[in-house]
Amino acid sequence: MRKITLFFVLLVSIGCISQNKQILYNFTSIPQSLLTNPGLDVKYIGFIGIPFLSGVSANVGSSGFSAYDLFAKNGVDFNAKLRNVVFSTSRKDKLAINEQIEVVSGGFKLGDWQSGSYVSFGMYQEMDLLVYMPKDYAIVMLDGNKDYVGKVFDFGDLNARGELLSVFHLGFHKNINEKLILGARGKIYSSIFNIESTNNSGYFYTKTDANTIYEQVISSNVMVNTSGFTNYTDYYSGNTKSDILKKTLLGGNLGLGLDVGLTYYPEKNMQFTASILDVGFIRHTKEVRDYRFKGYYRHLGLTPDFEPGSSGNGIYQDFIKAIPLDTLNVKYTTWRPIKFNTSFQYSFGDGRNSECNCLGNEIESKNAVGAQLFAMTTPRSPLMALTAYYKRQIFKSLEMKATYTLDSFSLKNIGLGLSTTIGKVNFYFLADNLLEYRDVAKANSLSFQFGLNIIFPDKNTPY
Amino acid sequence: MNKFLGIIALAFFTFSCSSELDFNQINNIETKPVIVANLASFDIQANQFVKGGIEQIQTGDLINFEVFNDSFFKTNLKRVDFYFEFNNTINRAYTINLYFLDDKNSIVYSIPFDVPAYSGVQNVVTKTEVFQGANLDLLKKTAKIAFTVTMHPGPLLNENSLGNLKLRSSATIYLNAE
Repeated sequence: MRKITLFFVLLVSIGCISQNKQILYNFTSIPQSLLTNPGLDVKYIGFIGIPFLSGVSANVGSSGFSAYDLFAKNGVDFNAKLRNVVFSTSRKDKLAINEQIEVVSGGFKLGDWQSGSYVSFGMYQEMDLLVYMPKDYAIVMLDGNKDYVGKVFDFGDLNARGELLSVFHLGFHKNINEKLILGARGKIYSSIFNIESTNNSGYFYTKTDANTIYEQVISSNVMVNTSGFTNYTDYYSGNTKSDILKKTLLGGNLGLGLDVGLTYYPEKNMQFTASILDVGFIRHTKEVRDYRFKGYYRHLGLTPDFEPGSSGNGIYQDFIKAIPLDTLNVKYTTWRPIKFNTSFQYSFGDGRNSECNCLGNEIESKNAVGAQLFAMTTPRSPLMALTAYYKRQIFKSLEMKATYTLDSFSLKNIGLGLSTTIGKVNFYFLADNLLEYRDVAKANSLSFQFGLNIIFPDKNTPY
Repeated sequence: MNKFLGIIALAFFTFSCSSELDFNQINNIETKPVIVANLASFDIQANQFVKGGIEQIQTGDLINFEVFNDSFFKTNLKRVDFYFEFNNTINRAYTINLYFLDDKNSIVYSIPFDVPAYSGVQNVVTKTEVFQGANLDLLKKTAKIAFTVTMHPGPLLNENSLGNLKLRSSATIYLNAE
């Protein structure tokens, strides 16, 4: 059973945002850290990612409930557990899943060792899912409205987005001077599947009334946009595999994005970094299908008209006329979730004593402590996370970063990352929410990243 | 060193645990929502029973009611209660009938109401009709509802007569979706 669970966790992970990569961020010995800050202070002349293995990351977060709350094999009726989850969560609770697999990646220094210009490029596949708890919808489905006369159900509770896309990117960074490094990365997105329903409004209420038993009003402005599905839902004769491959290779709905970042050393042992990622959009024009449920209906019930020659109205037909479910083909634009990272780090205990190198000022300090802030735009209020960390060079070839993160999913998220570079091979493994691994079924949030790269160290570094 | 990392990674997964989960439970999902909604209402003024100086003894209307013959309700509907409340302030007595007709206009069910004449005190008649089992099948066949109002003999009404005959009614719908 444990294996099945682990498999499920992995499956969900591979199949699938909270997107905070607090361990990877500013972990300079890992090339993939460049994706979290294009202005990263890199220390090698080049790297090549092992295809499909250079950067694998998965992140699952669920505020409000865990897999255990719903699926525990504890003899409690599933419907009782479902009710518990629905009634103990709020519309702010969310399920967020993000997965990335780097297909190809690489980077190299331009010019000789004194040059501070650096180019990196690559392509990765990403899947994002963010679903808010559709609380009011769930209450109606579980209980109906009989016990909720007077309550206004909010149609805005439906808020979800999901996307499978591939990203092609090219980054450039330059050491402006000894203290400042600036970087930028351009991205082309190719969206394979997209579903988005984030701007819904409307309400449904039942109140008591003097003339009719109830006053009942539905006012709805609900829209679900999709792209990339119509070929499969409609009559389809193509080959799904080659179709998806084509969409991955810039054949999908296209978009553009930009990352910018910097690293600044106000003092030798103090470092400040910041980055803004995925400022971009995707224009959905191909295989677009939108579903709209819009209108206003006041339900009176049957209203017979006793005047000769006229007749009252039926119920169902009126409702369908007032709030039709329309299927449209309207092109739409989605915005990528914008991510913001910043960190401040203080280094101490430099390696001079143990490593004995004459180029003293080039040696990184053995220890560093720092703080990071992460923020990401969502259809509602931004996701925020605050991280404190400790970084240490354990051996010449082994670096460790330990993190403690506070966010809306967890208040005791301890993470650990290890990066080893032996010869030219760099391997890293990062995981957070370590305390939750005591029982993954009860975890509210789990994430891990690992990868394998070939690194060409800078001759200038003391390796 | 890679060995070292490997050991850590292995230890990490070995020491991780999971409570037993059973995802098949999702098949046991069952919801029993109860929905309340207006069923019908009318408000007939006393003078509406007089046309050109002559009393209209009988009046009625036929309305489409294609609600419970929907395929969703056919499988998930368990019980329906119709609640009726007549309030008569006209000093004439009435018999009101609701006839449920199927799509071939045959009567499959009827609900009669006797509403006494108004005598100055509150005059409310209520009834709750429960549809379950065989009755419910008849409701699922219903495509139209006919309302007939028959006025019983009594003091003559004219175009200035006061009072009205009011109906408020609601449906309580019990679903069981699995």
